[in-house]
Amino acid sequence: MLKTVLLTLLALAIAVGGGAGSVWMMLENAPPIGALEAGPWTSFPDAGTRNADPYSRARFAREGGAPLGRAEGIVFSASRDSAGRSLRRNCTYRIEGPVPSARFWTLHAADVSGALLPPLGRRRPALHSEMILHRQDDELIITVSPEPSPDNWLAITGRGAMQLILTLLDTPLSSGFQVGELALPEILLVGCDA
Amino acid sequence: MLRLLYAAILGVVGAGIVHIAILFMLPSYSERDIWSRISSVAAPYTAIRLDRETLKGTPSRPTNPFLTAAACRFDLSDGPVHVTAPGAVPMWSMSIYDSDGLNVFGLSDRTATDKRFDLVVLTPPQMQKVRAEVPAGFARSVFVETGTGEGIVLVRVLMPDESWQSVIDTFLDGLKCTPMPLE
Repeated sequence: MLKTVLLTLLALAIAVGGGAGSVWMMLENAPPIGALEAGPWTSFPDAGTRNADPYSRARFAREGGAPLGRAEGIVFSASRDSAGRSLRRNCTYRIEGPVPSARFWTLHAADVSGALLPPLGRRRPALHSEMILHRQDDELIITVSPEPSPDNWLAITGRGAMQLILTLLDTPLSSGFQVGELALPEILLVGCDA
Repeated sequence: MLRLLYAAILGVVGAGIVHIAILFMLPSYSERDIWSRISSVAAPYTAIRLDRETLKGTPSRPTNPFLTAAACRFDLSDGPVHVTAPGAVPMWSMSIYDSDGLNVFGLSDRTATDKRFDLVVLTPPQMQKVRAEVPAGFARSVFVETGTGEGIVLVRVLMPDESWQSVIDTFLDGLKCTPMPLE
């Protein structure tokens, strides 16, 4: 009798513990499905829509937020540079390359949770397409650095990991994109403060 | 020993069922989605700004420093909802979120006449009625058909720099959501 009770309890413990634990593991650690990747940048155009897979749905429900609709724009984030090293707040990076056509785009630096980094003086770590000095070709060069630098400077502060977030607003890319043709700027490490 | 193995197998099968059940139940019990957060602070048809400290527990998701937003809840069983905001801003876009907080529709200001913000959100049957006879006041509106009964209209405005603050305050503070019952 006691043996049956113990075995039942064991089965229940495995079921509840294993079920809850595996969901938690999947949501915390597993990479999301359906990512759109271009170089160091990734985007989840289906996140927070009815097309998302159940894991993305559950993850989105836990995090909350109000994602941009497809007609509004698309958000790319990068937490690693083009060589695959994670982005540090005490390093200097050069962002170089083409930006897909969009009516407006913004680039900002955020911490791991997605909050904007603190400003350096009055300078927020954020740039948009109308603040940028453009070169003659469509390519762009932005220096992400804690030190002042000429031309386009995205000022970052502090230490630790960060991510760069590129938002393209009102872009044809978000409604019917071709993964093969998608070209986004490279993120190149220049150097780090000790 | 065999019974122990049997219990363990039963447990693993049960774990699979629990896994799937939690996965699919999580979205409906979430209190962090945009619908739950807005409905806890604002009545239907009351517009609130999302950039101020109106929402408890500030957004955990990436927030764009150049975008500000306002939103209101609606229920289309009361009739179509007329959403307007005064003035002209550099760029606006709107999304409709359903009562699970999922984005079901998006629109940018390219669609609107003179980029004015004047929308009517309605269901396909209401659209049929409106088409037969366009009510006064809807003449210049953009019609947005949606299948969701209850939802949120969220308007995002681009603020290129601080000099736009007053224009954007006028726009977002002037956001109005009015139910327009059809006869």
